[in-house]
Amino acid sequence: MRIVTANRLSDGRVIYLGEDDRPVESVAEAAVFEAAEAETAQARAAARPEVFVNPYLVEVTGHAFSGRDRLKESIRAAGPTVGNSLSTDTGAAV
Amino acid sequence: MYRYDEFDAALVRERVEEFRDQVERRVSGALTEDEFKPLRLMNGVYLQLHAYMLRVAVPYGVMNGPQMRRLAYIARTYDKGYGHFTTRTNIQFNWPALSDLPAILEDLAEVEMHAIQTSGNCIRNVTTDVFAGATDDEIEDPRPWCEILRQWSTIHPEFSFLPRKFKVAVIGAEKDRAAIRTHDVGLRIVRGADGETAFQVFVGGGQGRLPHLGQEIATAVPGSEILAYLTAILRAYNLLGRRDNIHKARIKILVASLGIEAFREEVERQFATLRQEDLRIPDAEMDRIRAYFAPPTFADLPKTSGAFDRAVLADADFARFSRNNIRRHRQAGYASVVISLKPVDGVPGDITAAQMETVADLAERFSFDEVRAAYEQNLVLPHVRLDDTPALWRALREAGLATANADLVTDIIACPGLDYCSLANARSIPVAQDLSRRLADLAWQEKVGPVRINMSGCINACGHHHVGHIGVLGVDRKGEEYYQITVGGSPDEQAALGEIVGRSLPADEVAPAIQRALDRYLVIRTEGERFIDTVRRVGADPFRQAIYETLDAAA
Repeated sequence: MRIVTANRLSDGRVIYLGEDDRPVESVAEAAVFEAAEAETAQARAAARPEVFVNPYLVEVTGHAFSGRDRLKESIRAAGPTVGNSLSTDTGAAV
Repeated sequence: MYRYDEFDAALVRERVEEFRDQVERRVSGALTEDEFKPLRLMNGVYLQLHAYMLRVAVPYGVMNGPQMRRLAYIARTYDKGYGHFTTRTNIQFNWPALSDLPAILEDLAEVEMHAIQTSGNCIRNVTTDVFAGATDDEIEDPRPWCEILRQWSTIHPEFSFLPRKFKVAVIGAEKDRAAIRTHDVGLRIVRGADGETAFQVFVGGGQGRLPHLGQEIATAVPGSEILAYLTAILRAYNLLGRRDNIHKARIKILVASLGIEAFREEVERQFATLRQEDLRIPDAEMDRIRAYFAPPTFADLPKTSGAFDRAVLADADFARFSRNNIRRHRQAGYASVVISLKPVDGVPGDITAAQMETVADLAERFSFDEVRAAYEQNLVLPHVRLDDTPALWRALREAGLATANADLVTDIIACPGLDYCSLANARSIPVAQDLSRRLADLAWQEKVGPVRINMSGCINACGHHHVGHIGVLGVDRKGEEYYQITVGGSPDEQAALGEIVGRSLPADEVAPAIQRALDRYLVIRTEGERFIDTVRRVGADPFRQAIYETLDAAA
């Protein structure tokens, strides 16, 4: 199973292709595709460059990342694991 | 410090307006991402893991108070309240929105700053000795030459589309505090046969996947001809460098494949056509630029300071700060002060907006309105009266900027790694933090003495792990983070690449393993021997054994 992810053009934040091809911020809201339809979903996102920058496919089991890049995708989804020298609105643990 | 003339100011303003138009066209859909990407990169804008990242140029690492304060304003207004200083002596902002970037560049332009050539296959920001013009072991201040190179290389029509990025560092002393042999071109000021300024030139250095140390290509190029000589090098590279394989496109690969002799011949051939032409730097122009870097008006002070001596005796923490973070100055009664951006548990190179404002205030109050970015991801106030160092230290301490660990084991150089960077394979920051916590005891750190730990989250080596006395490289093993350790690297005048000691380790084993290596050093060192000297004397084996002994026993 796969989901489509990209960066949002306006602010670069991580987004996913949701139901009805809406951009969503949470991986839990991402639409999950069978292999056959995943590439066409990716193409639909690519056709909206004013929202989705560089859309690509990510392997998932349910909504959990399961491919080789699962660590990277987890950090993309949750934000930096370390905070920084002061406040950040991300910082969730992986 | 150099002030923009009308040409600089106009160029930067025009560039801001040009980029504003490009952003608008991208947002409107008139430009595709493929079309926009090279344009944003020319303005220092990357798209990283979580957001856009803006890399602001800090030419040769020199800033003043208003510039620092403006960086703080940008951090607070457009970002999350902090910035990150890099090994290129630039500052990066990790969270700006695309639509804000033209405004940020406009804000920067108002204080004579920009982001031009902080990305792309062009000549990048020239770096130098953070103590330039302040140290007492210098033949000549390298900053005027850096400024000449900045003006020459900025939007150079012939060298804006090189096979790959191109990095230049310049030093003016025997001691190499800018790692010149890890650069595409490294320049060291020497005295020519006639006593005039000349440059020893190294070429073909670089880290990354295939690390090389720069090789000497010329012993003493006259200062007036250095632009012609650099043009000859760049021209040879531009003509002969590979463009078919990004991993083999740096000049280090060209020099290694041709051999330094053949490359030198090609450069000499190019140089012969250039040296008599208008690339000679006129004496008057050199004098004009030098005037911008004239020393500040130092007071006539005694070599020693009663206030400093009393503070050292009265306060053990200040005494420690003075031992580790205060450096000798060429001017009697003055010192340079290192501001560590490596607090315990901190992110190496990060600084908050409030801290930037504090540094701006302190630079104006204590250091002739000058602050430097160091490639170690620290800051330096270059010209501080010894008398003022206790007050400066108290102010730094209040701002959380007085960690007395400059050049000690927790003065760790680390790239942002997988927490931010889209290229990384593994995280760097948590491993650096783990080390920072484990090795936090400053008394123990002083006992160990100077040790440079460098950490990179991928083979691109932004954390310079190849030349760390102890290097740590994050690697991906089937989706898991592991860390390869090297020992014996050195970035200085005895530059060396570290030796890989063995199999890579999981993240939680890195700090204990490094501690064991340092403990072994304490046992086997001779009187007064630094860590790197011990490695050079005994080789990597004792450290390899220490790093793996517990792991092997447990296996």
